[in-house]
Amino acid sequence: MIHFFIFIPMIASLLLLATPVRWREEVAGFAAALTLGLGLLMWRGGGADLVSVPWIQALGVTYSVALDGVSLLLALVTALMTFVAIIYTARRIPNPGTMLSLILAMETGLLGIYAARDFVLFYVFFEDALIPALLMLAVYGKTHRMAALIKFGAYTLLGSMLMLVSIIGVKALGGSPTFALADLIAHPVTGAAQMWLYLGFLAAMAVKLPLFPLHAWLPDFHEQNHDSGVADVMGTLYKVGAYGLFRFGMTLFPDASLELRPVLMSLAAFTAIYAAWIAFRQTDWKRLLAYAGLSHMGLVGLGIFSLEPTAMIGAIYLLAFQNVYTGALFLAAGMLQERVGSLNTKVGGLMTQAPILSGVTMSLWFASIAVPGLAGFIGEFSILLGAYQIYPWLAFIAGLSTIAAAVYALSAYQTTYWQARPPGGVKVFDLQHTEWLVLGVPLAVCVVFGVYSAPALNLIQPVVRALLGGGQ
Amino acid sequence: MTGVLVLPDVALAPMLPILITLLGAIAATVLGFFLPRRAVAIIALVSLVLSAVSMFTLWNRGQTAFGGSLQADNAAIALGVVLLIGSALAVLVSLDTAGRSRLNFPEFDAILMFAVTGTLIIAFSGDLITMLIGLEVMSLSGYVLATLQDSRESEESGLKYFLLGATGSAILIYGIALVYGATGSFGFAGIAAASSGLSVSNMPMLVAGALLLLCGFGFKVALAPFHQWTPDVYGGAPTVVSLFLSTVVKVGAFAGLLRVFSGALHNAPNWLDVLAVLTAATLIVGNLAALFQTNFKRLLAYSAVAQTGFLALTLLGTPELGGPALAYYLLIYTLTTAAALAVVAALQRTEAGLEIADMRGLYYRHPGYASALAICLASLAGLPPFAGFFAKYMAFQAAFQNGYSWVAVLAALSSIAAFIYYMRVAALMFMPDRTPAREYEGARPAITFSVALGVVSITALGILPNLAYAWVAFPGIWTQLAGT
Repeated sequence: MIHFFIFIPMIASLLLLATPVRWREEVAGFAAALTLGLGLLMWRGGGADLVSVPWIQALGVTYSVALDGVSLLLALVTALMTFVAIIYTARRIPNPGTMLSLILAMETGLLGIYAARDFVLFYVFFEDALIPALLMLAVYGKTHRMAALIKFGAYTLLGSMLMLVSIIGVKALGGSPTFALADLIAHPVTGAAQMWLYLGFLAAMAVKLPLFPLHAWLPDFHEQNHDSGVADVMGTLYKVGAYGLFRFGMTLFPDASLELRPVLMSLAAFTAIYAAWIAFRQTDWKRLLAYAGLSHMGLVGLGIFSLEPTAMIGAIYLLAFQNVYTGALFLAAGMLQERVGSLNTKVGGLMTQAPILSGVTMSLWFASIAVPGLAGFIGEFSILLGAYQIYPWLAFIAGLSTIAAAVYALSAYQTTYWQARPPGGVKVFDLQHTEWLVLGVPLAVCVVFGVYSAPALNLIQPVVRALLGGGQ
Repeated sequence: MTGVLVLPDVALAPMLPILITLLGAIAATVLGFFLPRRAVAIIALVSLVLSAVSMFTLWNRGQTAFGGSLQADNAAIALGVVLLIGSALAVLVSLDTAGRSRLNFPEFDAILMFAVTGTLIIAFSGDLITMLIGLEVMSLSGYVLATLQDSRESEESGLKYFLLGATGSAILIYGIALVYGATGSFGFAGIAAASSGLSVSNMPMLVAGALLLLCGFGFKVALAPFHQWTPDVYGGAPTVVSLFLSTVVKVGAFAGLLRVFSGALHNAPNWLDVLAVLTAATLIVGNLAALFQTNFKRLLAYSAVAQTGFLALTLLGTPELGGPALAYYLLIYTLTTAAALAVVAALQRTEAGLEIADMRGLYYRHPGYASALAICLASLAGLPPFAGFFAKYMAFQAAFQNGYSWVAVLAALSSIAAFIYYMRVAALMFMPDRTPAREYEGARPAITFSVALGVVSITALGILPNLAYAWVAFPGIWTQLAGT
């Protein structure tokens, strides 16, 4: 089942190329729904155990996949948001065949990242997701996409190439027979070599976390992507750095993680507050959302780097659910753009003409700025609680970003949705047809998991506890 | 015992692959007077296929001829198959483009087949003299091929190639002389045996010989700083010739490099470090220079230099790990480069190839070719799931495990530049464009077939590398490169 779960989107993506134009939306929607359904079934069955077969025997590369709690939660969120993105693509983009195909191709890469239990396989899926992301930007991007594209690609490659060398090094220096995660953990690299290898791995993950100072690709990437925000949803889901650090970083490089903890936690806290500060100055919703996401990822990083159970549980929780609300907010920005033709934060007065769109957007923003009762709060609170036990001051600085979040989010919200509609502005229509679903489902998820977090926590907690129990 | 005629150890079986291509070359020369060029090209293709068939019958037999001067071991066959695939692709592409390129005469196929024969001799060589003969046959044919078209660019390209190639050959021959002087043997096995237990007085001569050989090969495979001819030759020659030179001739030269250095001179000191420096220089120069090209064909020429750097990484590894990596990389490199240049050959209006700026929106005018080219570029950049990724990964691993981790890191960093110039072109092709088409319009079935073959192979080999890698993964193949 796990193999179908990973590869159905890719197969559907190729199938779409041969599907008649009028059926493409239905086929893509069906494939995404099927993937999500399979994921939910696996949730009921308690995840998927490790399956491992040799891939390139002579080199020790295996095809090893498994979905434990953390992977399953993140994979489910990916499947859900892909489904939502596909519904909105079908509505918003005329003749969306290429976009749908790219979204599905990317979904396989992302699910594979969460399922991979082999270091080379992880790399393969990691890079697989890159090609569709680049193509989305190339085909559907805006005027200055070439620069954004090169920036995005170069940053990603900078990290992943160094990661590749470090992957080779982990096996060569540790003497493991294969690249399977269990084997690599059983043959650890120690001493100074571990630090160097960790730095190589960290380069890739810091780009994809993203962590200051390797974040510069992010705002341009989001700004230059298609107005609908669909590509941005996928881009948000592609921020897998924290997961990679959790799954491979801490298990393979425990000493280096501990040694670099103060530096990395400081960088993460700085990322959180710095991004929030810049977000305040943005006048483009997508750039603002990019920095808001960056600020959240700083908090996620703070939790992951702290190596403290509560903070790490919170980090995974936040990582999972910020994908939901940040993704939905990008789509809400897309809807805003569709109605007023601009992503500027000073449009003004939407609330009077489109109250439901404005209300749902506000609720999602509340989730983003961690209002209690919505999913964002549980994650952020746990991170700060845990981080406080390690470095109180860093927790305090990072905590400031949640206040800053309220400032940048609400001030931009005010000038867009409140205030007066400018004279002569077009009449804005409210949510229509599937748009209800596109924003409603993520909001419902945020509310449910904000009030009743146990199902998600039950997925995360055992994995984190087992990992920290064995890792330290 | 003087006066007794000792018959040489002539065994026809191990020579068969070479003899068949030689027969193909002679047939093309003679029949060219009677048959149209297309028929001659078909004959050449048939002889390439027959040669491949004869190689499969020799697999795992380890036969030799002339007392070890010619060895049909598995390493020779693995590289030989790559050479034949590249040659067949070149002939296929020429079927559609020779007319437009004003190369539509049988001499083209004749000379091409002589060059193939030369490259096969290198791959099958068991001593320095055989290797040199093969190299000279290959190079001389290459000079002619580059000059064959009646145009100033082609003549300039051929002359440059000849002058620098001849210099390279001269250096190489001098290196051979010194190695012979130091070890007293031309045979790879003899050199390997002698160089492991050399007395101190002979050592400097061996080292000097080895380094001269390395310089000579540096010219042939285009290692920096001996790469200067490459962009001009590949850029100026007709595209189908560039395809042949940058795949088959380069694979042939690498076969020689592998035989001589991983085989004969394996125990000789110092050359590994020098090669590491040359590799590093090649990676930097090739990748950085490619960043600034405006013509796609020239970009591919610089990319060929950069790929030489990645290929040379495999030679830094131990033969057990580097040998299979090199064979796999050469196969992927041949398929990818041939397919990419075939697309250029199909779409170009002149032999200057395609300007990068003109490739904007290619996907909307020629979706098939543009997608194929994008896949080739992704593979060259080393992105999974295409085969270029595993090739690159094996090269990095070979260098890393033999202690050259700094070169591996440098290669990783220079890959970023490579990624940028490949991706810029690939992304440009997918950007919508409303200007009229600038590509050649016309039927090109043979090119379409070879492009499809290349793209399907690199995708299949990217997902299941074992299809090719499992054949060459046995260390035993690569530890016996010198023969016994």
